[in-house]
Amino acid sequence: MLTQLLLQVVVAVSILLSVGLAGVVGRDRLSLLREEWKSRLRTSAPAIALLLAILLLNRIMRQQGRSLSQEYGVHMTEVFYTIEGEFVLHFQKIASPEANAYFSMSYVYGYVFLLIFPVIAYAARSKTIDFRRLLIAYSLNYAIGLVFYILFIAYGPRNVFVEELTQTMLYDNNPQVQYLTTEVNRNTNVFPSLHTSLSATVATFAYQTRSTYPRWFPIAVCLSISIMISTMYLGIHWGIDVLAGLALAGFCVSLSTYLVDRWSLTAIFEQVRERVHEYRDTVTTPSQENS
Amino acid sequence: MNSPPDESDESTDGISRRAMLAAGATGLAIGASGCINRVQSVVDPNSSTGMSVSILTLPGADGDREGAQIARHLEENLRSVGVNATINTRSRSELLETVLLEQDFDIYVGRHPADFNPDFLYEALHSTYAYESGWQNPFKFMDPSFDSEVRFTDPSFDGALERQRTVEGAEREEAIAELLWRFALEQPFIPVCIPNEYRLVQTDRFSGWEDGHLATRLGYLGLEPAADVEQLHALITDARPTRNLNPLSATARERGTVTDLLYDSLATYEETDDDSESNLRPWLAADWEWNGSTATIELRKDCTFHNGDPLTAQDVEFTYRFLADTTLGRAPEASPAPRYRGQVAAVDSITAEDNYHLTISSSTSPEVAERAFTVPILPRRIWTERVDTRVTGADEFSPPQGTWSLVTANNIPPVGSGPFQFADRSKGEFLLLERFEDHFSVGTDDVPEPTVPELRLEVDPGTASSIDRITSGGADMTTARLETYALGGISDDDPVERVEDTSWTFYHIGFNTLKEPFSNPRFRRAVARLVDKGWITETVFNGHARPVAAPVAEKWTPDSDSEVDSLVWEDKDPVTPFLGTDGELDVEAARSLFAEDYEYDNDGNLLR
Repeated sequence: MLTQLLLQVVVAVSILLSVGLAGVVGRDRLSLLREEWKSRLRTSAPAIALLLAILLLNRIMRQQGRSLSQEYGVHMTEVFYTIEGEFVLHFQKIASPEANAYFSMSYVYGYVFLLIFPVIAYAARSKTIDFRRLLIAYSLNYAIGLVFYILFIAYGPRNVFVEELTQTMLYDNNPQVQYLTTEVNRNTNVFPSLHTSLSATVATFAYQTRSTYPRWFPIAVCLSISIMISTMYLGIHWGIDVLAGLALAGFCVSLSTYLVDRWSLTAIFEQVRERVHEYRDTVTTPSQENS
Repeated sequence: MNSPPDESDESTDGISRRAMLAAGATGLAIGASGCINRVQSVVDPNSSTGMSVSILTLPGADGDREGAQIARHLEENLRSVGVNATINTRSRSELLETVLLEQDFDIYVGRHPADFNPDFLYEALHSTYAYESGWQNPFKFMDPSFDSEVRFTDPSFDGALERQRTVEGAEREEAIAELLWRFALEQPFIPVCIPNEYRLVQTDRFSGWEDGHLATRLGYLGLEPAADVEQLHALITDARPTRNLNPLSATARERGTVTDLLYDSLATYEETDDDSESNLRPWLAADWEWNGSTATIELRKDCTFHNGDPLTAQDVEFTYRFLADTTLGRAPEASPAPRYRGQVAAVDSITAEDNYHLTISSSTSPEVAERAFTVPILPRRIWTERVDTRVTGADEFSPPQGTWSLVTANNIPPVGSGPFQFADRSKGEFLLLERFEDHFSVGTDDVPEPTVPELRLEVDPGTASSIDRITSGGADMTTARLETYALGGISDDDPVERVEDTSWTFYHIGFNTLKEPFSNPRFRRAVARLVDKGWITETVFNGHARPVAAPVAEKWTPDSDSEVDSLVWEDKDPVTPFLGTDGELDVEAARSLFAEDYEYDNDGNLLR
C-alpha cells in the first residue's frame, strides 16, 4: 500500500517538476547546473549537511519523541478548541467532491512539489546564496517544529468534529494516504502546521526572487495558499496551527537571511591556512625585522 | 422584564428561591433570543461561577469516531443548557490513565469492557473500591442515601451489588433487576449503547472463523489454515499491545485478547446459546466440582510456562494471592491489582492441596465465583522475584496501589503458559507471537489448538484502511471491532466475510462523582436526558448498535414480567428519556429541568 502510494507521489511530482523546471528555470540555467553542480555543491555543503542532519533527527524523534512528549508535553487540544471554536468548519461551506480532490492533491502532491522545486531552481542559479538560505530556512522550520511538537500535544480538528468533517476528511476519501502520513508524522504533531510554515517559506522566497523567476512567484503563492487552506479544509490543522505556521515561516526566513554567509566555513578555513603559512614563514625564513 | 438596572444591588435579600429560579428561567429564553435582559441580575454574578465541564474522549478520526461523536453530541447539548462544555482529547492509554489512575476528570466517554455476566457491576460500582486505582470503581461512586422513589429489598446500593453475588436462579434475576433499577436512577455513568461486534476475515486462507469469539482466545484457536499457510496475519488499530504486555496494567488494554493468548486461565469463555447455564468451559483446569461454597479444582498435568518452568497448583494459588495484594504482604497495606479486582474478591481462600489440586472457598454463588477462574495464571517464580527486587532494604515499603512499577512495567518479554508465546515486536508497528509447542492443547482432539506457527498482530491506521487491506488480500483478519462508518466499504465479491460475535462491551459516559455537580444524582440524571441514545445508534452507529438503559445483555434486562419494572428499551429510555426528538434538544424543557436544582445568570449560563 505504502510503496504503491509512494510511487504515485514520485511519478506525479516528477512530471510536475519537469514541466515546472522547463517552463520556469529554462534550459540554459539547467545545462549550466549540469556543468557546475560539483562546485556549487561544495560551496553549499554546510547548509546541505545541516538540513540532512535535521531531517535525520526528525526521523529519530518520530519514535523517541513520544516518550519525551509524554514526559514534558502539555495537552493543548482543549485549549485550541476553546480559543477558536468551530472556526475551521467555515471551510466546509466550499465542500464538494471537486474541492476534496483539489485540496487532497494540493496537500499531498502539491506540497512535495512545492518543497522540492525551489531547491532545484535555486541550485540552478550561479549565485548560491538563495539556495543556501532556503536550505537553512527549511532546517530551521523542521528543528523548531520538532521542539514545539514535543512540548505541545494536540489533536487536529478531524479528531473533534468527526461528523461535520466526514465528507472532507482526507483519510476517508483516500484511506491509503494514512499509511504515508503515519509514516512521516504522529497525529499529535499539529502545532504549528509545518505544511503552512514551509509553504509560506517557499512563497516568501518566491517573492524575494521574483525578478529571477517571475513565473514561479504566482505559482508558489497560489499553491501555498491552497495548501494552507487544505490543512483546515481536510480537518488536519486548527486555525491556530496555521497562524503559528505563518509566524514560524516569517521567523525562519528572517533568521536564514541573517545566518547565511555569517560564518563562512571556507573563510575560516582560509584564515587558518593563512595563519599556518605565516607561522611557517616566520619559522623557515627568519625575518631581520623581527625582534 | 424591564426592571431598572440599579435594582441589582439590593436584590438577593428577601426574594424567595423559587422566584429567583423563575426569574432565571424566564430570562434564559430572552438571553438565548438575543434581547437585552436585566431581570436575572437578582442572582449576584459574583457569588457563583458558571458551570464548566471538560469531556474527556479519544481522538475521533484517529481513535474512536463513535465515541468522539457521542462526546460532541453531549458537548453541544450541555452548551445549549448553559454549561460551558469543552472536549479534551487523549490517546487510549492516556485516557485510561487519567480516568482510572489519576482520577482527574469531570466526564469521559469510553467503552467499558464489561463482561458476559452482569456481576462486573460489582467491581465497577462498589464503594469499597472508591479509594482504589484501576478498573475498580473509577466513578468513585459511593453508596448514596436514597430518595425512596422506588421500594427496594436491599437497604443500599452496595447491598444490591452484593446480593446478586450470593443468590441464584430466579432470585438472582430479581436481584439484578433491582440493582439495574437503582443504577438507572443513580446514573453513576450513562450507558449509551452496546455496539455490534463485527470483524472482517479473509476466507481464502483460513476457515472456521465462526467457532470462537474473536475477542477471546478460542477465536484464534482451531482455525483451519489452507495448505502452506504459516502465519495468521491480524490487523490491530490499537498499538498498545506492541508497547505493554503486562497482564496487570490498567491502561494497556480495555479487554485482554492478547493476554488471553499469552496466558492461560483456569476456565475460558465459550460462545453458547442463550439457554445454557454457563459460558465457561474448563481450560487450564481439567475439571472442577462444587461442594457447597467450596470448589475442588483439578489442573491439567504437565503444563509448563514459556520459559520451561512447570505450571503447578502453587502458581495458581500464588496468582490469586498476588492479584489481591501485589506486594505479597510486604507493605503495611494490601495493594490490589488495578484489574481483576471483582473476580479475585470472590475468592475467600485458596489452597494448593498438591501439585495438581486446589480448593477454593467462596462466599458467592458458584456462577459468580467461576468468573474468578478467568484471570491469567502467572508464574510464581518470576513475579516473586520482581516483588523482591522492588522491596528496598529496611525502609518502609508502601508502593502506590495501581500505579507502582510492578503493575505498570511493560513485562516484555511476557512469560505465560498460553497457546502463543512472545517472539518479537516493534513499538507502534507489530507484535509477533509464535505457537507454544508445549501447550496442553497442541495435538489434542478435545481442545482447539493453535493451528499456525505464527500470529502476527500488525498495527494499521484505521478501520477503513484495514478493510481495504484485508479485501485486497494483505491480511487475514481485524482484531478490533470494525467501526461502523466503514462497513459500507466491504464488498460481497471479495473472499472476505463479516463475522459477528456476541457483544457486551458498551459505550458510556462516566462521571467523576467525587466532584460537584456530578456528585448530585439529579444532575447526572438531567445530563442523561441530554443524550439521545436512539438517535446516536441510528446516525452514529448506522443502526449497528443497541441503545440501552441497563448496560447488560438482553437476557439480564428486566422486562415487563419483572417485579420492579421493565428497563427494556422501547423507542425511548424508560428512566431518562431524551428531552427532544431526533437528536434535537428541546432547549427550553432542558433548561427548566436544570433550573429545578441550579441557577442561571444573566447570560443564560448555568451556575454551580
